[in-house]
Amino acid sequence: MKRVGVFVCHCGSNIAGVVDVKKVAEAAKEFRDVVFATDYEYMCSDPGQELIRKAINEHQLNRVVVASCSPRLHEETFRRCCESAGLNPYLFEMANLREQVAWCHAKDKEAATAKAIELIRGAVAKVRRSAPLTPGVVPITKKALVIGGGIAGIQAALDIADAGYKVTLVEREPTIGGAMVKLDKTFPTLDCSA
Amino acid sequence: MVAAARHPNIELLTYSEVEDVSGYVGNFEVTIRKKARKVDATKCRGCGVCWEKCPTKVDSEFEQGLAKRKAIYIPFAQAVPAIPVIDQEHCLYFTKGRCGVCQKVCPAKAIDYEQQDEIIKDKFGAIIVATGFELFNWREVYGEYGYGKYPDVIDSMQFERLNVSSGPTGGKILRPSDGREPKTVVFIKCVGSRDEAKGKSYCSRACCMYTAKHAHQVLEKIPGAQVIVFYMDIRTPGKAYEEFLERTIHEGAIYVRGRVSKVFPEGDKLIVKGEDTLLGRPVEVAADLVVVVPAMVPSRGWDKLAKMLGLQTDKDGFFQEAHPKLRPVETFTAGVFLAGACQGPKDIPDTVAQASAAAAKAILLLSKDEMATEPMVASVDQSVCAGCGLCVEVCPYKAISLTTIAERVGGREITRQVATVNTGLCQGCGSCAVTCPSSAMNLKGFTNEQILAEVDAICL
Amino acid sequence: MSIAAEEKQWEPKIVAFCCHWCSYAAADLAGLSRLQYPPNVRIIRVPCSGRVNPQFVLRAFQRGADGVLVAG
Repeated sequence: MKRVGVFVCHCGSNIAGVVDVKKVAEAAKEFRDVVFATDYEYMCSDPGQELIRKAINEHQLNRVVVASCSPRLHEETFRRCCESAGLNPYLFEMANLREQVAWCHAKDKEAATAKAIELIRGAVAKVRRSAPLTPGVVPITKKALVIGGGIAGIQAALDIADAGYKVTLVEREPTIGGAMVKLDKTFPTLDCSA
Repeated sequence: MVAAARHPNIELLTYSEVEDVSGYVGNFEVTIRKKARKVDATKCRGCGVCWEKCPTKVDSEFEQGLAKRKAIYIPFAQAVPAIPVIDQEHCLYFTKGRCGVCQKVCPAKAIDYEQQDEIIKDKFGAIIVATGFELFNWREVYGEYGYGKYPDVIDSMQFERLNVSSGPTGGKILRPSDGREPKTVVFIKCVGSRDEAKGKSYCSRACCMYTAKHAHQVLEKIPGAQVIVFYMDIRTPGKAYEEFLERTIHEGAIYVRGRVSKVFPEGDKLIVKGEDTLLGRPVEVAADLVVVVPAMVPSRGWDKLAKMLGLQTDKDGFFQEAHPKLRPVETFTAGVFLAGACQGPKDIPDTVAQASAAAAKAILLLSKDEMATEPMVASVDQSVCAGCGLCVEVCPYKAISLTTIAERVGGREITRQVATVNTGLCQGCGSCAVTCPSSAMNLKGFTNEQILAEVDAICL
Repeated sequence: MSIAAEEKQWEPKIVAFCCHWCSYAAADLAGLSRLQYPPNVRIIRVPCSGRVNPQFVLRAFQRGADGVLVAG
C-alpha cells in the first residue's frame, strides 16, 4: 500500500508570490495514493523538515514529494530528512516549482499554478514506482599508481608518499626525470632544473 | 629525483610500462611490464665499466642526437636509478650474437643476457596520469626550414642541451656542424603551434618564455652576439614573466613580428627569409644558428593509455579534465587524476601546481577506508538478458562485461552469457538501458517504469 | 476569423527531457536569471540524454504531447 505525502514550499514569496500554493496542495490531495498534502513557508528550514518528519510518522507515509526549488539544490537535504524519519531516502522526489516555474513564468500566475500541479502529478507518479535503494560499499586500496616519472609524476608521487601512502611510480624510460631533467636553467628565475 | 628514489613509500619502476588496467575507483587492478634491462639491478653498482668498454656507439636520445651513447648505457650521469640498460636493437650480442664485452668486464657479474621481461600485477586505489609531452615532429612537415636536414637548424630541446654544463658541449653554445660559436642566432617561434595548416591549432604556452630564456642565454654566453626572434605574438601571462621578457629585450634581443618563409644554407651561413609585419617589409638574416621552437604534443602512447583508463581526449590527444574550471585534475573515470602536460601544454610552475592538486585529490580518496557507491546505477535482470553485449559496447565507463552463468533448463545444465554491471564503475547514465533490446537492463532511480509514469502524468 | 480565434486559444504541450548535468541545470539558470518563457514546456529530469529511450518520446506523443525536446 503506497502512501504518498506532498509538501509544497512557499520559499517565502519566491514561489508563493506566483504559484497559488494552497490550490496546488489541495489539487495534490486528489492524486493517486496521496494521503497527505500541505504547504509551508520554508520547507528546507528546520521547522519545515520537522513538519515532514512528523507527517511521515503520523500518516505512515512511505513516499514523499517535496515541491520547492531545484533538486540540484536541496535533493540531498530532503533525502537526509526522509532518512532521519526512517524512510529510505530514494523513496523521495522533488518537483521544481521555483527555478522552473515561479521564476520563469512570473507574469502568468494561472498558468504557473497549473504547471506546478502538473509537475507534482509527474513527481507523484514517479515516486509511486520508486523502490528503496541502498548504496554499496567498496573498500579502498590505500596505494596510488603514478604513470609517468617526469616533474609532474615525481611531484605527485612525493606529495602522496609524504602523506603516508604507498606509491608506485612507473616510467617507461630507463630513468625518471622526464623533460625537465634535460633542461638547463628555468625561467623566470633562472634556477637550475635538476 | 633522488628524493623520489629514496622515499620509503615510493616504489620506482623504471623501464616499465602499464599494460592493462581493470577495476574501478579504490580498486584498480593494474598490470605493469617491467622490461628486461639485461642487467641485474640487485648486483649492479653503477660503476660504469660496461658502458666504457662497450664498442657500439648510438645517437643519444637524451642528448637529442647531439652526442653518442653506447649500446649499454645510462641516459645521463645523474640517472635514477644509475643502473644501465642494454639497447637490444643495437647491441652486438643481441643483433649478431657476438661481443659480450660488458659481461666479461662487469666486476659485479650483473650482466644477464637471459633476463626476461617481468609482469607485475598490483592493486591501487587511485591513479595519477602524468605522461607529459613531446615536441611536435617539425622535421616531417616544415620543408621551408629544411626538414631538419641542415645541421645548424636545431630545435629548442637541442638548444637546451647545448646550454647544460653536463651536456655535449659542456654548456657552450656551439654549432653542431663545425663546433664554432655562432654570432647570429635566429629563433623561429610557433613551429607547429597556432598553425592549423601544418601543425596544431593551439598555443603551446611555455615557448614564449623559454625562448626568452634562450635569447638571454645567447646574449649572456656569447659576447657581441646578435639574437633575432621571429614571433607571431608574445604571450607572457605569469608572475614575473613579462618582466623577464623585458629584461631580455633590454639585453639586446631583437623581436621581429612575422613568420619565417624560408631557411636555406649559403656558404657557412643560413639565410633566414621572413617578413616584419609591423614594418610591412621583408627581412633577410644571415644566421649562424637557427633554433625552431616546436609545439608541445602529447607523449606517444596517449591513445593506448586513454583506452586503458577510459579517458577522453581532445582533438589533439591531450587528456580531458572532468570540468575545465571546477574539476581541473579529475577525469570522467572516478579515481583517475591528471597532472602536467598530458592534460594540455603547460610550463613547469603550472605543472608542479597541478601535480600537487592531483596528489591532494588522490590523498583525499586514499584517506578513506571505504567509500559508498551511488545506488542509482544500472542493473540487469539476468533471467531476461540474452547476452547480446550491446550494452557493453555503449557503456562510456567500461562498467559492463559479459559473464558466463550456469543454470538448469529442462533438467540439463547449460551455460550462457549475461551482462554484469560493475557498480563501482557505473556512473548511472542509463545508455545501456536504452540500448538493451530485451529491456533486461534498467537504471535504478530512473527506471523505464518511473519515467514512463512521469510522462503519462505530465501529458494527462 | 474563427480560425484565428482558435489559433490563439490553442496552446501546444511540450515535453522536454533534460540532462541533470547540463540542460536541466541550464533551465535552473534560466529561472535564476529570471528569463521568462512560455509555460507550455514540462521538464522531465533524466541523468543523461543517453537515458532517453525512443519509447519515452513515442509515449509522450501518444499521450497528447505536441512536441518533444531532448536536450543534453
